[in-house]
Amino acid sequence: MTAVLAVHDLTLRFGGLTAVNAVGFSVEPGQIVAVIGPNGAGKTSLFNAITGIHPPTSGRILIDGRDVAAPYSILAALRWLGVGVATACAAVLAIELLPLWDVAIERLYEYRKPFPWGSAVPAAWDLLTSRAERKTVALTALVSLAVGAFGAWSVWIRSRRVPERVARAGIARTFQNIRLFRELSALDNVLVGMDAHLTSRSWHAVLRLPRHRKESATTRALALEILTTVGLGPDAHLTAGSLPYGHQRRLEIARALASRPKLLLLDEPAAGMNPVEAVALVALIRGIRDSGVTVLLIEHHMRVVMGISDRIVVLHYGNKIAEGTPEQIRADPKVIEAYLGAEGA
Amino acid sequence: MSWFEFVLQQLITGLTNGLIIALVALGYTMVYGIIELINFAHGDLVMLGAFLALTLIGACHLEGSPWLGLGLMLIAVPVFCAAVNWTVDRVAYRPIRHAPKLTALVSAIGVSFIFMNIGLFWGGAPMAVFGGGAAAASPKDVPDLIGHTNLLGSGSLVQITVKDALVALVTIPLMVALTWFVRRTRIGTAMRATAQNPMAARLMGIDVDRVIGATFIIGGALAGMAAVVQSLYYNTISFQMGYRIGLDAFTAAVLGGIGNLPGAVLGSIVIGLVRAFSDGYGATQWTNALVFLVLILVLVFRPSGILGAHVREKV
Amino acid sequence: MAIERRTLAWVLALVAAALLLPAIEYGIHRLPLWPWLMKWTYVAPLMPAIFAFMIVSLGLNIVTGFTGLLNLGAAAFVAIGAYTYSILTCEIYPFRLGWVLDEVIAGGRPSAHATWLTFVLGTMAAAGMGALVGAALSLPTMRLRGDYLAIVTLGFCEIVQDLLKNLDPITKGTTGINPVPHPPNLPALAAASEGSSAFIQHATGIYLYYRDATPHYLLYLLLMLGVAMLCRNLRRSRIGRSWVAVREDELAARSSGLDTARIKLSAFSWGAALCATGGALIAALVGTSIDPAYYDFQLSIIVLCAVIVGGMGSIGGVILGALVMFGFNGIVLVRLSDALAGSHTDGNVLTTPNNWKFLVYGLALVLVMRFKPEGLLPAREVRAEMRPPRQAPTVPP
Repeated sequence: MTAVLAVHDLTLRFGGLTAVNAVGFSVEPGQIVAVIGPNGAGKTSLFNAITGIHPPTSGRILIDGRDVAAPYSILAALRWLGVGVATACAAVLAIELLPLWDVAIERLYEYRKPFPWGSAVPAAWDLLTSRAERKTVALTALVSLAVGAFGAWSVWIRSRRVPERVARAGIARTFQNIRLFRELSALDNVLVGMDAHLTSRSWHAVLRLPRHRKESATTRALALEILTTVGLGPDAHLTAGSLPYGHQRRLEIARALASRPKLLLLDEPAAGMNPVEAVALVALIRGIRDSGVTVLLIEHHMRVVMGISDRIVVLHYGNKIAEGTPEQIRADPKVIEAYLGAEGA
Repeated sequence: MSWFEFVLQQLITGLTNGLIIALVALGYTMVYGIIELINFAHGDLVMLGAFLALTLIGACHLEGSPWLGLGLMLIAVPVFCAAVNWTVDRVAYRPIRHAPKLTALVSAIGVSFIFMNIGLFWGGAPMAVFGGGAAAASPKDVPDLIGHTNLLGSGSLVQITVKDALVALVTIPLMVALTWFVRRTRIGTAMRATAQNPMAARLMGIDVDRVIGATFIIGGALAGMAAVVQSLYYNTISFQMGYRIGLDAFTAAVLGGIGNLPGAVLGSIVIGLVRAFSDGYGATQWTNALVFLVLILVLVFRPSGILGAHVREKV
Repeated sequence: MAIERRTLAWVLALVAAALLLPAIEYGIHRLPLWPWLMKWTYVAPLMPAIFAFMIVSLGLNIVTGFTGLLNLGAAAFVAIGAYTYSILTCEIYPFRLGWVLDEVIAGGRPSAHATWLTFVLGTMAAAGMGALVGAALSLPTMRLRGDYLAIVTLGFCEIVQDLLKNLDPITKGTTGINPVPHPPNLPALAAASEGSSAFIQHATGIYLYYRDATPHYLLYLLLMLGVAMLCRNLRRSRIGRSWVAVREDELAARSSGLDTARIKLSAFSWGAALCATGGALIAALVGTSIDPAYYDFQLSIIVLCAVIVGGMGSIGGVILGALVMFGFNGIVLVRLSDALAGSHTDGNVLTTPNNWKFLVYGLALVLVMRFKPEGLLPAREVRAEMRPPRQAPTVPP
């Protein structure tokens, strides 16, 4: 079975600081894997690298065996060329605007008489290919074609691994410091999470087409269902920013679930929770796993980690120092040293 | 005039203009660096300073003693502008320090409007220098106090006039002094600390409000100096001049990387040069657009400005 | 869509009052009251321009209010809309949208009032042009931080102004394009307006600006209400949610799979389209594209203040903000100047009402930001009224 997530030799460097150093592990479908380590070990940086927020300095990230970065393709190349052509047309039009206007429109127009549209285009073409103008036109067209295509290419290169691509490939995440859309209602937050699966466009909304209203009703019902799963049903219409802390954490999870991910990344979901809430959270995570979503979580709450994880990966100063089942990790001397310091120190 | 002389002349003009803009841009960038406020009222503060300068010339009959007058103005106007700036911060911006940035921005726009209107009324004052109180809205001429003798001799085609020298003699020492101040004094260091991390600065015992007040005072003083230099260089002021100066200065600050002092100077010189060369080659009608085209091009390739630091968002 | 009963009642009452305003004023003027009162209660002819500016403000609201992108150059899009409409409908150019039909109907006699076809096509073309330019502006500015984007939009406004001034053969430089056909008349109202205009002039000696404007009152009011409903539908739809999500937390939005580049582009497009529509409506109203100097930074700032002072992101708030900001200039100052026009004009700078404009604007801005920074009619308050009472949180089983 292909691993849902496979990380090979992942390195993330910020200037002089190496946040993640050649880390490699994989997550099998249906598992709950935890990443633990003392503060500053690079756990959130690892998440950021996987989700494309800070693309890795080196290494590979495979989702379902495929690289998450956008592949080179003929279609992409055609798109760059298209942008180049559009830029060229715009540039030629801009440079030659006044002469074109003069020749194609002003000279042909008699006040209030019907305009000979048929002769406007040939007149324009004659101007552009005339001896006086053709060098300027050709030069402008070529230069702006190159500039436009190069610009499109460089934008594309930089956006091969952006967070939206990763999200659409099936990875959803929550954040260490809750990042909800505070002014939107809880329901709207979940609906935004679902956005990748929606098809209505702004025109449909404006004209209130029946197709739009039907999709709207279905998606709202679905979103409400997700909110009920995490226990926030009654809060659906409340502003996200006004919810208590525990509810906000659950709302973030609901928003992540709304995108129907293959893999759910949870960044310290139990932070700030009391034991009662932590127990509820554990049940929730198990429920998520049972519904078919693989879970990768960062957590400091040792009870939670030991209680639900199938496998644990331990990071320390950016390096992976151990990996195994909870029992193995508990007994691993390197892990103990990392958390408690060396014997006799 | 040979091509070389032409280019040299544009360089001189551009540098001089750039230095004047730099004084204003420094005030902009300092305030932005410390409270992330685009102080729209800054350009109009320069305008008020210019009006004060003209009033002093008229009231104290400074045409007779230009150098004494210059000295007087270079003291009185910066003090005035600094006081006004500090007061505005105290009254309008401090109470809303904790509100979103947009609130302070709109407030600054309001202050800018108020300054403009004060300038309009000021222009209607019944003084001879203001044209006797009629036509309050029209631009006022500033008497040519220091003349414009060419320092390279009257035979030279290239001109470095007394005015250019004045600009350089006022602005360059000021910038040096500012750099020394920001790097070497306690308040300067406190300013840099507050600009980087206000919370940490507070925890270290820095009185952030006082530091911000000091920033406004220095920015105001710089604006006042710029006002004197500007009015004596161009010999005309108007209640709407704040807009153009403020826009140029703000563009310069952004171009160099907002919040960055050397960047503001660099950006100002770039803009001064672009203006000079554009006007010099006769494309005056496109000069404004050209300045912005330069800005947009720079920002496309370096979104944080030429010397700006790319701020990483903490996730 | 559930609307709270109280909000709905308010909205309906206001709409009814707005619809009946010309009739009410006409009725007041048939009563034998003091002339000075009648000078002040003839607001209807000045309103169509304000309705057009409300549409402009709603456009900026999409960019700055919903999506949080600080746009300091809204006037540029207004200019683009005005000029597009003017170029496409003025008879000195060959395009003359809809004239063919008009010539057939009116037997070839040109009239100052356009047919519905001209007006609708012209306005739609203006909106389309606005959308195109808005999209083009958003492309190079995608990665820019908030304040940098602000300065670029400001610069864009300058560039558009310069272009309009310098491309003489196309834009007629600083004189603007005229004559531009006025919006079509609604016949019944035209008669009523002519009657009351004559009555006013006879009773008070006051010359009314936009004398023909009252017949356009209804048309512009309906257009403004239509645009407001359009904005409301957009806000409650998928794209509206995406806009607010980008404003609230762009990183979280991207991590949820939103293509924020496309979302920002759509915000700019829609916003610019609406601003341009407003511009076209203004040009049609005054019969000229107005010289380019009018579409300057000051206009952009006043539109921005209408959005922020009214309540960013709140449609009702923005309409109120536009009424306050543009109404002050377009109604209060106009009537004040009228009132003082008879008295001595000694040219003293302090006694001309127009000279106090900036002071009043400035003070209003500073005071509102100090005491009610969320705006006069903020979005959250409206939402608060719609919120059902909170129930005690339950622990899930």
